[in-house]
Amino acid sequence: MRFEEAQKELEQIVQQLESGQANLDDAIKLWERGEELHRLCLEQLDSAQGKIEVLKPTEPA
Amino acid sequence: MVSMKVEAEQYGDRKVYTVAAFNRGVAAWLARLPTVWVEGEVTELRRQQRWQSVFFTLKDPGDGACLPVSMPRGQFDALRLDLGNGERVHVYGRPELFEARGDLRFRALSIERFGLGDHLAALERLKQKLGAEGLFAPERKRRLPRFPRRVGLLTGNDAAAKRDVLTAITTRFPAARVVVAETYVQGPRAAPALVTALEDLCRAGEIDVIVLARGGGSFEDLLPFSDERLVRAVASCPVPIVSAVGHEQDTPLTDLAADVRASTPSGAARLIVPDADEVRERLTQTRRRLQRAPLHLLERKRARLDGAYGRLRALSPRATLERGYAIVRDRGRIVRVATEVASGERIDVELGQGSFSATVEEIQ
Repeated sequence: MRFEEAQKELEQIVQQLESGQANLDDAIKLWERGEELHRLCLEQLDSAQGKIEVLKPTEPA
Repeated sequence: MVSMKVEAEQYGDRKVYTVAAFNRGVAAWLARLPTVWVEGEVTELRRQQRWQSVFFTLKDPGDGACLPVSMPRGQFDALRLDLGNGERVHVYGRPELFEARGDLRFRALSIERFGLGDHLAALERLKQKLGAEGLFAPERKRRLPRFPRRVGLLTGNDAAAKRDVLTAITTRFPAARVVVAETYVQGPRAAPALVTALEDLCRAGEIDVIVLARGGGSFEDLLPFSDERLVRAVASCPVPIVSAVGHEQDTPLTDLAADVRASTPSGAARLIVPDADEVRERLTQTRRRLQRAPLHLLERKRARLDGAYGRLRALSPRATLERGYAIVRDRGRIVRVATEVASGERIDVELGQGSFSATVEEIQ
């Protein structure tokens, strides 16, 4: 999952929880999903420590 | 005009020319071609006092094709052009064969410098043409991704521009993944090489944004970035492009065709990657809210429950009894009217706290 999507879903979940609309069972599930998304985001921020590759050029025809 | 009568030896049914005769024939044929103007860059200019002619090679700035040119020294000097290598010229002349060597040459009759003004005019015409095709239209501009999986960097292999952009990107966002395509950014090979490298980058996969980076330079140095081939390739590139070419005051046409233009490496970095500290901070805030949210939810549910219970209690007879009322029952039935009981009957009385039995004394 891409960082942008994960972050967006996470923020939506927080808003949903804060609105107080969810029932308790759903709230627990939402919270678990939120934690998972947060972990996903952190992993992408931390694990992909700067990588620079040089592309081998194609000789122009 | 001399008709082409070139003598050949006859060997059986085969007609064979000497080299000199062949060259003479070709030279005569070439001499019948019309005079034309040819545009190119002056290279390998050779002029010496003891030579009858001045020689140089006219080079096509597009693909590097070459044409040897000669001009009688007297005529060349009379033009007072003071030409140097690398200058763009228009040469008026005709082709001829240097018979002794079989070399094709262009014999110049006149030379005109194709100056900065002409370059600007040509550039302006191209700009008008591509603009009319809609290549620079604002509605063509795409939004850049906020969080690219990989960044493509198209730049010169020597370039300080490369280092500056890389530093700016990794400073702002250390987790950035960058794919660098290095190529010529100057001279006749630059434009086609840039186009090829751009295509390579697009094929590299997972590239969500491309930066075209080149440091400042002279007007001529930046010309490849106004080359029609490159400008079209930028406009039709499937991946959004940031153009970071030259300085603020330069406006090569790729700047107009790109989705966004940046005038400095750090400006480009700001467009391409998010600020890692800001991203982290926002994530931390969101997490904090996430962790508090279930507790808040429980508190709200609890408060609602308490409210409902309070109302329930307010409506129950118990609360009424607490205020000093009593319920009178006659064998379990609630007594609402005095005549429902008779003197001497036993009744049960329930109070806010506890109950007792009593005997009816008198009905009123």
